[in-house]
Amino acid sequence: MSDQGIKSKPTYSKIAGDKAARYQLLLVEGAGIPSEAMAEGGDPSAFETWTVAHASALPAAPMMDEAPGAVRPFRSTQHLLSALEERLDRETMGLRLYAIGTEPFLWDAFNIASAAGLSRQEMQFAHAGPKARRIYCVHCRTMMEGVTTSIVTCKGCGAALFVRDHFSKRLAAYMGVQVDAEAPGEVPQAEELYK
Amino acid sequence: MTVQFKPTETFRDTFTYKKSAEDILRFPFPFPEDEYMYSVNIEPHVKGGPTAAFNAAFDIDEHYVAECRERERVLKEDPKRCQVLPHMLTAEWDALELIMESLAVDYPEHFSLSKAGDVWTWVNRPLGLHQTFTFGKVETLPYGPFEYITRQVQGDFTLQDQREDMLYVDGGMVTTQADWSFEFNIGMSFMEWHGPVPLANEKGVFERALKYLLRLQCGQPVRRLNWTMTINPRLDTSPENYPVWGPDRTTVTPENVGDKVHLRVELQTLFRLPRSNAILFGIRCYLTSVNDLVKVPKWRRRLHRVLRDLHPALAEYKGMPRYRQMVVDYLAPMDDGVPTTKGIAPETDRLDG
Repeated sequence: MSDQGIKSKPTYSKIAGDKAARYQLLLVEGAGIPSEAMAEGGDPSAFETWTVAHASALPAAPMMDEAPGAVRPFRSTQHLLSALEERLDRETMGLRLYAIGTEPFLWDAFNIASAAGLSRQEMQFAHAGPKARRIYCVHCRTMMEGVTTSIVTCKGCGAALFVRDHFSKRLAAYMGVQVDAEAPGEVPQAEELYK
Repeated sequence: MTVQFKPTETFRDTFTYKKSAEDILRFPFPFPEDEYMYSVNIEPHVKGGPTAAFNAAFDIDEHYVAECRERERVLKEDPKRCQVLPHMLTAEWDALELIMESLAVDYPEHFSLSKAGDVWTWVNRPLGLHQTFTFGKVETLPYGPFEYITRQVQGDFTLQDQREDMLYVDGGMVTTQADWSFEFNIGMSFMEWHGPVPLANEKGVFERALKYLLRLQCGQPVRRLNWTMTINPRLDTSPENYPVWGPDRTTVTPENVGDKVHLRVELQTLFRLPRSNAILFGIRCYLTSVNDLVKVPKWRRRLHRVLRDLHPALAEYKGMPRYRQMVVDYLAPMDDGVPTTKGIAPETDRLDG
């Protein structure tokens, strides 16, 4: 059951960097770079790095340099993503964007970068942190964050949703589809699968 | 013979959809052999084929007016069934041009197109439309060009952008689909949107089909048939409305199986578009009940054999486990075991029963 054999489920690699890059920006959904997310020989000191402190109190004068080796902290994931659009608008050809974090974070960053004109070949993604899923209810379009179970009740329409492996990068979400649509009430036991 | 439209027939609730004898015989029966497995069954989309459904670039039949009305209703309920990403505007005009020109050539009694430079006049007699507009000027049409024209054709359509040796589904009009969500899939690559299909991925079918389609030439469209089964003649079997139509699958009994269960065939066509280099993908849906199909001897023998021997993973993917055996049991006494000839043609011009 854990592998549904659906090929739209994204795969990830480690961050290796790109020698052909003019400039490299790394986004980390956490306070530090998890070592297991870096490929062997990958050197984060060559990147400008943005991190998430998950704390409201940032240093009074945080590092703001846009330069290799600079590390800029943000209060939250949303705080970081809200600055990314403006940052990428000022960029030119040759930028490489890397991201390390949970799936919703990676694909939210992907969508911001795509809108700014970056192609998938100019990005590298490493999956780190919880495996909890963002679920899109195909019936009522409600998004649910942090889903860890094989079946979840939709917060929008109340349907018992089966969590498919079918993934939409545009929505940065997996599809939830009513599990008992044919025979209402026949809802299997939910299993804890995505932690 | 001019087709008689049946504007009031319905594809939900009352299900008054019915097929004339001519309409049954023109059905694009999807099985050229007594067994079925996925393959890259793509052939040139040339006019003329084993049934009359292959006689036009975009097939119009007796359900035309009613299907356009059903589409209008689905769009009222869910406007996002039609969406086109902004970079596809050139492809929208390409599609409008191709469809208008094809319909006017194939069905001059129903449609006409006249051009005075960029000022075009389109007449659609069955729907009572008369529209003068400027080609390339969006504000001269009541909808975007793609939505405007696909509201006037049977079948779903998607627009595929081609970049980096991949196709992306970056636009569509999808109201008669076999259980796939356009809102979820828009923007996906060819490999992503086929991700859920079992067996075909493992067989490399999609890699080969993609390679073929990336080389599709303008003026040389191609087609293939796909199929599933649907309970009741319902066009909108979207995942969005699965809670509405899903319970139908529990209503099949040995007594009503012949009327309830429909073979749902998609005549899929692919056209390279001239200015945008995009691909227009037509997914034309045909529904025929088991009881109508058994009126053709070759089709009733073959349908029995295909369903009886269908790979369980395919039956599961197509949503058939609850009723497949009932259909097989219903058809078995009508299969006399006589060998069938290759190909899908009915090989008769009159119906049994």
